[in-house]
Amino acid sequence: MAKLLTEMLKGTLEGVILASLAGRPAYGYEITARLREQGFSDIAEGTVYALLTRLEKRGLVDVEKVPSEKGPPRKVHSLNGQGQEYLEEFWRTWSFLAERLEKLREGGQ
Amino acid sequence: MIGPKKRWRAYKARTKELPGGYRGAVEAIERYLMHFVPTNAESTASMFEDLVDLFEQAAADGTPIREIVGEDPEEFVEAFAANYSEDGYVPARARKQLIDDLERAAGDSTAV
Repeated sequence: MAKLLTEMLKGTLEGVILASLAGRPAYGYEITARLREQGFSDIAEGTVYALLTRLEKRGLVDVEKVPSEKGPPRKVHSLNGQGQEYLEEFWRTWSFLAERLEKLREGGQ
Repeated sequence: MIGPKKRWRAYKARTKELPGGYRGAVEAIERYLMHFVPTNAESTASMFEDLVDLFEQAAADGTPIREIVGEDPEEFVEAFAANYSEDGYVPARARKQLIDDLERAAGDSTAV
């Protein structure tokens, strides 16, 4: 079950992270903690970090370095216009997929 | 694999400042990443700088190493490396070494 969940999450994690950022900007650890609270309990911070880096390279999030009390400055990520568009596209695709899968479960066409 | 020397040295100096287990984990991942075919010096340099960014922040927050790398470190490292190289090939023994090294580093992180 856990293995299947991991596999199925792979293609959706970028969207999940963007959706989490839609509420408010956050740095990597905050996003991971938020997602864990929401039930994505096995998610690794490194994986979230790697995907954030990718989203940044693709221009979907803006990054600002904010000084922290302890340790190095934190990279705070926020959703930009392009990211917002991508997120809307992500939800449309998700609805389509969920609907098709539901049809299959019902044994439909 | 190794980017401009100056940036590489700065990266190595930063890893040396990390507490035990975190340093061990970065070095294990570094060893694994060395197997990737280089793309260009610039992206290689930023790859290691981003790697040490992650572990510096995690060490400051006291995040356990297992929560950073997950139960399947290969998955994290693949997702990480994919940002810097179009594709790459890593021999199986390197994967085993990564898993073993991180096991050791994670056991070492209780001090933080």
